[in-house]
Amino acid sequence: MSGGAHVLVGLLALGALFFVVRLVRLQVLKAKYSILWLTVGAALAVAAAAPGVLDWFAEKLGIGYEPTLFLLLAIGFLLLLSMHFSYELSRTERRLRTLAEELALLRRDRDSRGD
Amino acid sequence: MRTVAIIPAFNEAKTLPAVLSALGQQVPEHDVIVIDDGSTDDTALVAREAGADCLSLPFNLGIGGALRLGFRHAVEQGYEIGYQFDADGQHDPSQVPVLLAALDEAHMAVGSRFANPTDYRAGWSRSLAMGLLRWLVRRLTGQRFTDTSSGFRAFRRPVLELFATNYPVEYMDSVEALILAIRGGFRVVEVPVSMGDRRGGAPSNRNLRLVYHFLRVLIVLLAGSHRRPASSL
Repeated sequence: MSGGAHVLVGLLALGALFFVVRLVRLQVLKAKYSILWLTVGAALAVAAAAPGVLDWFAEKLGIGYEPTLFLLLAIGFLLLLSMHFSYELSRTERRLRTLAEELALLRRDRDSRGD
Repeated sequence: MRTVAIIPAFNEAKTLPAVLSALGQQVPEHDVIVIDDGSTDDTALVAREAGADCLSLPFNLGIGGALRLGFRHAVEQGYEIGYQFDADGQHDPSQVPVLLAALDEAHMAVGSRFANPTDYRAGWSRSLAMGLLRWLVRRLTGQRFTDTSSGFRAFRRPVLELFATNYPVEYMDSVEALILAIRGGFRVVEVPVSMGDRRGGAPSNRNLRLVYHFLRVLIVLLAGSHRRPASSL
């Protein structure tokens, strides 16, 4: 990567870290996701500050063109993450359905008691 | 035996009174539970005015979700027999005793509208989907059904218990449920019945949607998530 790109990635990583910390402080983001994104932010920051690390890894793995490693890691990470979200979404939908059923039953019980 | 008619209803205030009164005349000894599936019209009010019990879902869950709540109600209230009945007037109350009679020697009875083929007409895409589903069900269960998507079905308590928690909640629920019951070791029979036309509401299928759901059902069934321990009659 060129010097300009490193500065850009570094700034983006810092911005992301700042944003995540802010979200956690506002209690918008659950802690487990904050850890995830903080880790990603930190990894990006390291890659930007010390580009040699990524290149060294790529060389060890026998990857000739270093940015490939970065893209591979990024795609793998996003894929895993979206699978995790699909799982969570399925579970949330199942729970929501059950809650809706409970609500319907409770409403009926309440109405039959005549409040 | 204590028997309950389970009627899922989504915005069926227009057709529901006639359906409930016809059912009440035919089988006055049966209880009725209407599942108001997040309707925006007076479905719940109309149901209560007709003397039926009614459960109102806070938002629309779809036919499968509404049915599952109906099964849960049937189990919790201790019914021995429950049957599905359409709120749109498609099902004929005079056929209820025919359907229930089949439960003497089965856990579950499916009313088939193809007893008299001229009674029912379907477009080509729907016919194709139905044909594929028939083939699929036969491959997966070894049993032949002429009407896999019929919503006119009766169940004995063990099946109600299974469906109260495991009823498939997405579109094409009827096909999945059929296979779920058979793979659960229950004896399922098909009964020829006559059915009328819908009086209200819109048939819920578009071709693309049908393809999507067909694929979805295919995946669900092939993934074998329906295997359950066997049960005796």
